[in-house]
Amino acid sequence: MLAFLKERFDHRLGLIALGLVVTGIISVYSAVYDAKASDIFHKQLLWVSAGTVVVLFLWAMPFRFMQFISFPAYFASLAMLLAVLLLGRTVSGSTSWFNLGAFRLQPSEFAKVTTTLALAQYLARSDVSLQKFGHLAAAAGIVAAPMLLIMMQPDLGTAVIFIGMLFPVLYWGGASRFTLLSIVAPMVAAVAALFGVTPFLIAVIALGALLFITRDHNIVAAVVFSTTVLVGISVQFIYDGLKPYQQKRIATFLDPNADPLGAGYNILQSKVAIGSGGLFGKGYLHGTQTQLSFIPEQWTDFIFCVPGEEFGFLGAATVLALSLGLLTRGVTIASLVRSRHSSYVAIGISGIFATHMFINIGMALGLMPVIGVPLPFLSYGGSSLLASMSMVGVLMNLYAHRKEY
Amino acid sequence: MMIQEDAHVYERRRVLYGVIAAVFVLFLGRLYQLQMIYKDEYGRKSEENSIRTIPKEPVRGNMYDRSGKLVVDNRPAFTLTIMPFEFDKKNIPLLSSILEIDPAFLRDRLKRGEAFSRFQPVKILRDLSFKTLSAIEENRERLPGVDYDIESKRFYTTKAYASHILGYAKEISESQLKASNGDYVQGDIIGSSGLEAVYERTLRGKKGAEFSTVNVRGQVVGSFNKGKSDIPSVAGQDLKLTMDFGVQMLAESLMTGQRGSLVAVDPQTGGILAMVSKPDYDLNVFSGVVPADTWRDLNNNPDRPLYNRATLSRYPPGSTFKPLLALAALENGIVPPTWRIYCNGAFRFGNKVFHDLHVHGSVNMVEAIQHSCNVYFYQVMLKVGLDNWSSMGARFGFGRLTGIDIFEENPGLLPTTQFMNKRYGPRGWTRGFLPSLGIGQGEVGVTPLQMALYCAALANKGHYHQPHTVQAVIDKVNGREDTVAYTTRDIQIKPEHWDLVREGMRRAVMEAGGTGAAAKVKGIEVAGKTGTAQNPHGKDHAWFIGFAPFDNPRIAIAVLVENAGFGGAVAAPVAGMCMEQYFYGRLVRFDGQRPKAGGAIAQSQPAARTTGRN
Repeated sequence: MLAFLKERFDHRLGLIALGLVVTGIISVYSAVYDAKASDIFHKQLLWVSAGTVVVLFLWAMPFRFMQFISFPAYFASLAMLLAVLLLGRTVSGSTSWFNLGAFRLQPSEFAKVTTTLALAQYLARSDVSLQKFGHLAAAAGIVAAPMLLIMMQPDLGTAVIFIGMLFPVLYWGGASRFTLLSIVAPMVAAVAALFGVTPFLIAVIALGALLFITRDHNIVAAVVFSTTVLVGISVQFIYDGLKPYQQKRIATFLDPNADPLGAGYNILQSKVAIGSGGLFGKGYLHGTQTQLSFIPEQWTDFIFCVPGEEFGFLGAATVLALSLGLLTRGVTIASLVRSRHSSYVAIGISGIFATHMFINIGMALGLMPVIGVPLPFLSYGGSSLLASMSMVGVLMNLYAHRKEY
Repeated sequence: MMIQEDAHVYERRRVLYGVIAAVFVLFLGRLYQLQMIYKDEYGRKSEENSIRTIPKEPVRGNMYDRSGKLVVDNRPAFTLTIMPFEFDKKNIPLLSSILEIDPAFLRDRLKRGEAFSRFQPVKILRDLSFKTLSAIEENRERLPGVDYDIESKRFYTTKAYASHILGYAKEISESQLKASNGDYVQGDIIGSSGLEAVYERTLRGKKGAEFSTVNVRGQVVGSFNKGKSDIPSVAGQDLKLTMDFGVQMLAESLMTGQRGSLVAVDPQTGGILAMVSKPDYDLNVFSGVVPADTWRDLNNNPDRPLYNRATLSRYPPGSTFKPLLALAALENGIVPPTWRIYCNGAFRFGNKVFHDLHVHGSVNMVEAIQHSCNVYFYQVMLKVGLDNWSSMGARFGFGRLTGIDIFEENPGLLPTTQFMNKRYGPRGWTRGFLPSLGIGQGEVGVTPLQMALYCAALANKGHYHQPHTVQAVIDKVNGREDTVAYTTRDIQIKPEHWDLVREGMRRAVMEAGGTGAAAKVKGIEVAGKTGTAQNPHGKDHAWFIGFAPFDNPRIAIAVLVENAGFGGAVAAPVAGMCMEQYFYGRLVRFDGQRPKAGGAIAQSQPAARTTGRN
């Protein structure tokens, strides 16, 4: 029995996930440590319990289960995303929540997982090749559908995660450099355009050169290149169409002093919180920035400041190490499993975790613009935590059945 | 194909490991930079560099009267605030004894403010007295977190109340807060009645914010970014009123001690010159803290001082309605102006006798208006009929809202055939109702405001202006005046008919035997009509409507005094004195001496009694 368990239970992944969940509980408790917010903490504990059940449930499922539910779950997610647009609840400008009594559910969090499963299911088919344009387009379509629905909420942060999932999966599947470059090029051009004309021109020249080198067909390369330029140019128009709070966030990224009380304030205070932590931190529940609530909504997007301030460099580095461990473990599982579906799923999940962590920690450290994505396991939020834990559950399942295909 | 069979899989895994590792090395490097290299700098910043927002209240807009005289402005007032996270709740009893308030009230305010933010000052009490202020100062050391803000409170520069027009702005209530969609927070001032409420958005201005740097203990250590990020508050815009505060003040003092109303309008524009509803109340009561018992008294007073009689109360108009009936008869060609009757003091219709106060003898239409002969108008009304009468009433704006810019108003009631059928059934009423309606009694109900506008339309021969109290909005910054536009409607009536009715009204004041002689003003030709409205609940109501000068009217007044008896004796002198004030800037009938408040009516009565008729 013990041997059977040992064979099927990925104790490394288990320990890493446990470490992250415990860090999360400790951090959320500190972030909401004053009388009014204990409700938040108790809810978070409930979600952790529910998440544990989900992990164990997914782990125990038979091998074919993941493949079997891939598309049904995917379409159910699309339906939920549609429904939330029509019936959902609006919180700070975006309609992405369902109310379930005292709890709120965010379908976009679950769509990340189901889209990964569906994409993997499609790419794992023996007749699908990433060298064929039609198949690539279909794969892109699977990801684009939920992404567009999420962008309409509008929740740009979560939409970005889908790119962060698709990209490594395509890479893993052996897509050409040109294909990968085509996905990245418009985004790079867009970001460069936000910084001004010169960065935009430099980016366009560089991308053009890279596309030219990696191209297979001149016409395709030309189309991709013009799209890139067009996207870059239209950034100004898109920017004008954004909600004021989104514009503010972008403007603040470019100049954090522009808005001392809005997003720029958050970055500033976040850096102050982390920086003032020093090597050992100010001690648990003694972080002045954290305890005096100088960072608004710290328990969600800026949770990384809590270990940073209260446990210092050692605490923050521990979180980094655990995150690093989770990501490499995901990639390792992707290379261990025999089934192509499992492998794609593992890479997709790692991509999701990686994008969340890169954006969120990068933001707290003042290296990234303020994009509202939660830090997996640490940020308060039931949907996010359940999604993260179910992804761990899926990875557990893949590991348990790594020898089957 | 198994994934492992792909020759590149391990290479790709290496690349992915590499990418992940690279990002984490970058993060770790950044952490090292922030926490090890710049630790001291950030540590110092965390000690001191935290920003607190202090909202800056805008100064509420002023109000000026028609001559440009400042009538409502602001004076500084001290407001006690508490910073919740600094405040020790053990000090609640001490603080509430200093402030002389209920500890439960203090606890409640604090709790509600805290729910919003522990780092924002909560406003506890406005308009602190000097005594309280010094007591707070003495105990400052023992009361951490307690501070005060300098805010502004309303100040009324004249002795006039004008309570129902100006209205009051007070601290926002729970229900107003809920309805405000986040534009207000607890402790904000909001216009809650009269012009303060109607022009709330104009008067309020925009809140600003001051950012200061606070240390970990929440103490302010300086301004943030040298104040460059502060957002200045924008003062509210000013209102220029149509009112003449000289007339308003006099009218209020003349009506003191009475229940009733006076409305004076400018017949050329529809601008309200004065509007009095008695009893009224002192707006200063609302400028600071409103003590609960004051509020209760105002609400429970049986004479209802908060209620604007000028626009909300319905009274039968009495004989002041006779000119309207005369116009209905003339315009419809039912009675020629030369038509005469013999008044023997009573009129029998069916088995009912309608009385007159006097035996007027032989009278034509002008004389009937001049002497207010009931018998004449009983008969005219029977000829004119309900429909012609009520359609003329509707043309003069009765039975509908006037559209005045203080909004609070009642349409009154103008009986029509439809209305009578509905109320009494098609067979439930007879022509026997008509004689009473003809002299403004019975079902008909009008507001003093409607009467003033009716009088203004008689004065200017048919221009019915939308009544208003605000002429223009003045931008404080550039001094520009934005004139507010109002509507005007013309009442088409033949010039000779206007002349005839107006002549009757002129004689009623100016000629011997007229009922409104008490409204005479030295050197100016006044026209008017008295009325005495029967009141089933008590003594008759006294009415007077009048305008002057006769040829080019600049003021039209309606006066109603409840339960005061004859209009000619009680209401007409009040109107006359207001006209004097308007034209001469002072009273001339008492050789320039202002009559004692409330005494004016009594003083003028002996003189009026000789001609005092209905």
